[in-house]
Amino acid sequence: MLKINSSELKFIAQYIYDISGIFLDESKAYLFETRLSSIAEELGCTSYQDLYTKAKKDTKKTIERQIIDAISTNETLFFRDKGPFELLQHKILPEIIDKRTSASPNLKTNIKIWSAASSTGQELYSIAIIIKELIPDLSRYNINLLGTDISDTAVSQASYGKYNKFEIERGLPQKQLQRYFTLFGDSWKIKDEIRAMVNFKKFNLMLPFSALGRFDIIFCRNVAIYFTLPDRKKLFDKIADSLTDDGFLVIGSTESLTGVCPRFVPKKHLKSIFYQKKL
Amino acid sequence: MKILTILVVDDDPVIRRLLQQRLKKENYNVLVAADGYKAQSILQEKHVDVVLTDLMMPGDIGGIEVTEIAKNINKNIEVILITAHSSVDTAVEAMKKGASDYLEKPINFDELFLRLDKIANVQTIFRSAQELQHAMDVTEHAASETIQALEMKTAELQGLLDEVENILRDHDSSEEVRITRALDKISGI
Ligand SMILES: C[S@@+](CC[C@H](N)C(=O)[O-])C[C@H]1O[C@@H](n2cnc3c(N)ncnc32)[C@H](O)[C@@H]1O
Repeated sequence: MLKINSSELKFIAQYIYDISGIFLDESKAYLFETRLSSIAEELGCTSYQDLYTKAKKDTKKTIERQIIDAISTNETLFFRDKGPFELLQHKILPEIIDKRTSASPNLKTNIKIWSAASSTGQELYSIAIIIKELIPDLSRYNINLLGTDISDTAVSQASYGKYNKFEIERGLPQKQLQRYFTLFGDSWKIKDEIRAMVNFKKFNLMLPFSALGRFDIIFCRNVAIYFTLPDRKKLFDKIADSLTDDGFLVIGSTESLTGVCPRFVPKKHLKSIFYQKKL
Repeated sequence: MKILTILVVDDDPVIRRLLQQRLKKENYNVLVAADGYKAQSILQEKHVDVVLTDLMMPGDIGGIEVTEIAKNINKNIEVILITAHSSVDTAVEAMKKGASDYLEKPINFDELFLRLDKIANVQTIFRSAQELQHAMDVTEHAASETIQALEMKTAELQGLLDEVENILRDHDSSEEVRITRALDKISGI
């Protein structure tokens, strides 16, 4: 494996930060090596300096994309932590639907939901499944489900909706597997009825959110942990701007907004926490 | 490494015996079924790691159906089909249903043992990954309870601090009254 030296560590870490906001500890050389050496070797680079130069010169940004794919941790699973999805089913969705339908009873009810670091799609598909089971007849609703992630390969796997048995094994109950997936060889593919409910796009959370519009529900889980505190503050400030005044924010179960964003107050329902804007 | 339990499904008693003997000699646990129905009841009653089934069998339950039954009972069961050369297309059909491999007749035992070895390896790795996963889940769960409790407590204290601030800044009351009321608030914690 190609070895990285300390000066390379510095500017590669800076480069990764610049393109993704992901902050990597320079003391963890092995992390850079295990994740980047195969890209470097494939491109015939003799050093990480060489890889960096090639990446900078690459106007098509192919190398940059490969580096982001390799560096980002796409670890996710269906119905991760369970609690947030029970929360969605029993508290958030009923409340939002109730508010939106009583506000304009004769129109289609519009609800926008965003999975802000959707990785390979399990989080958004879990949300879609909950919605499908809660509202069997979706024709009176306009439910917009958006998943975004900075990693190209994650976004394309999410869009394709195919999972191997190890990915399926984790978190997906047998009943939902049978109902919403079709077996394809050793893998499972999400059925069109669920696939048609969602949209996946590449998006870097370090950028302004203005083009995305406003959401009623935002899931931003297990991504801010890779950012610095100042970037986390900016991120949740932008999220507050993109959330409707009565909207809901759900973060990772081991994350906290204390000292990060005073615009949100935590609230507890059953065993889970969600956040709403302080008005 | 894990010792696999293998269910042999074949209507031909000679092949059944042969497979049973060879597999036992290689230190596998072996169960046998003469048809799909028997296979189904064994699968429902016992833990099986690998199903080794003939593709073409008399009756309604052939290799494809056995594959479906096995996968329905436990999707971690690996299915290897035994096929005649002429039925490779059907074997491919079965692989779409979840079979992991097929062997052509006459059975090459070296090849079979190699594949079983691979399956045992993968299942061993899979199991330790699951154990690791479980350990992590337990840790994460405990951490999340602590963090969420702290998050709620902090928010409560912040609310209290805001109230105390309002009391102390309330210039309509005397200093003494403000201090008493502030202390009352705080002692409620
Ligand atoms: C651990 S996954 C979390 C997936 C899912 N939200 C969950 O909780 O299971 C983190 C994801 O964040 C993505 N990510 C990292 N930095 C990002 C950025 N700057 N913008 C958007 N996504 C980012 C990674 O590509 C990765 O897929």
